[in-house]
Amino acid sequence: MTNDNQKLQRHAGIDRLFHWITAVVMTVLLVTSLLPVVGLRFAWYSVHWMSGLLLTLIILLHIVRALFWQSAGSMLLSGADFSARRAGKYTLAQKLMHLGWTLAVLVAIVTGLLLLRKAGVPFIDRDPYAWSLRAWGLVTLLHDLAALLSVFLVLVHVYFAILPEKRAYLRAMVSGLITRRDLAAEHDVERAERGE
Amino acid sequence: MNLLRFGHDAYGERVLNGVSWDLLPVAFWAGVAVIVGHLIYRALRRGSGKSGS
Repeated sequence: MTNDNQKLQRHAGIDRLFHWITAVVMTVLLVTSLLPVVGLRFAWYSVHWMSGLLLTLIILLHIVRALFWQSAGSMLLSGADFSARRAGKYTLAQKLMHLGWTLAVLVAIVTGLLLLRKAGVPFIDRDPYAWSLRAWGLVTLLHDLAALLSVFLVLVHVYFAILPEKRAYLRAMVSGLITRRDLAAEHDVERAERGE
Repeated sequence: MNLLRFGHDAYGERVLNGVSWDLLPVAFWAGVAVIVGHLIYRALRRGSGKSGS
């Protein structure tokens, strides 16, 4: 007989650390990029590029860990997500949120790294003439779109995190643990435990 | 409302600079719209006796 109050491991410590460091870094990136847009002027650039490089490093580590130490397939959309079958480790909504963040963060990182050349940093000489103005405009456009998508995602992500019936996921992202009862509310516990 | 922001090059030609920041409130209110939409959906589901999600 199964114990509904049994605590199951949902997130390893390293993954929780990744999540919360990413949250802080993304907040710093959005604050340093968007507050000047709404009229609050300050020396934002140094903090922004340093945070961007930190985000790049964290995401690279996350990708390596997901590919070699985790079951990366558990986060990919599949036909089962649209069937009546219960969710594995992640629900369809959670996978869509991850997909949204993947798009926003990867576009922001790639375009941000390119823009370092235009604006210059201590280890890359500033060269705004490396590309045409039109090309820089397109790169900046994509960087801006990633920022706007991030604003949208932050709101929706935080809302679902603090929603009472979803609070078990937030607790799991803090403690790493979730009760069998909370997991069984939306997941096939056996599939979730296998990392499917 | 503008979708894009433009500047001018040394020859006075208009060049793309990025997304218009007029879209920043749009991104914010789109997020708020999803939240409000979900709260309404959740309330309706609870009203009909189903568990909200």
